[in-house]
Amino acid sequence: MTGTEDTQTSYEGSFGAKEAEAIVKESVDATIGGEDYNKDQVNKWTAAILERCISDLCKLGKQYKYIVTCAVTQKTGAGLHAANSCFWDTALDGSCTVKWENRTMYCIVSVFALSIA
Amino acid sequence: MSDLLKDRALKKEKKMGKDGRPKDSISTVSNVEDPLHHDDTRLPTENTYQLGPYKRHSVPVITEILKDVLTCYLQHETYEAEWSRQMTKTLCDVIRARVKELMIPRYKTVVIVNIGQLSGQGMQISSRCLWDATNDTFATYSFKNSSLFGLAIVYVVYFE
Repeated sequence: MTGTEDTQTSYEGSFGAKEAEAIVKESVDATIGGEDYNKDQVNKWTAAILERCISDLCKLGKQYKYIVTCAVTQKTGAGLHAANSCFWDTALDGSCTVKWENRTMYCIVSVFALSIA
Repeated sequence: MSDLLKDRALKKEKKMGKDGRPKDSISTVSNVEDPLHHDDTRLPTENTYQLGPYKRHSVPVITEILKDVLTCYLQHETYEAEWSRQMTKTLCDVIRARVKELMIPRYKTVVIVNIGQLSGQGMQISSRCLWDATNDTFATYSFKNSSLFGLAIVYVVYFE
């Protein structure tokens, strides 16, 4: 039985972030839910999470360009801070950040959606 | 141009782990746009008949900005939780201002800064983008000293 898995989400802007959050959570759970940190696998995991997120976001069919970033860190008690600052149209664009953790690692996925039209 | 973003107060939660010891604190910071500036009516704009950007960003220039800012702010510092929290936000704003100064029209900017403590942990940071590769690009720079690392990523995206 693996340790407790936790998620926290924060939204920004008017982009429909609920759907993005659901996509991200599903993608992370499917890829690393139940796994322990493994340095040989972590490259494959991040690639898999990102590919799945991007393809699911694309299927939403909205007129957005997407930027998805994923950071997977081993839990050693070390501190990590992440921040972002964006110059965009606040009425149309937005972002969604999901922080996921389990017993051995943290995973932070940020989705930025920039409208085209 | 008025800045529409306002900082919300930091929220810090301490959670108890399964064995009764407190888990690492999780803090959430988010910026909120001023609700008075919400404008539901978009003005109809004329066709510009512009097919692409007249002026593009230069990746080496942005990389140079990132290198300059990170080295200047982080070189002689040691990692501390509170200081790092403030510094990531400060660096984000500084880098965004410097990229805006380049005055390349019709480009949106996303700046991401990560500062972390060096303690032998494994870490992987990756990103994928769904965009137009002819017009959009990114730049990154990472800095390391004896106690911390700093990573800055800038994405510039053309607004069609």
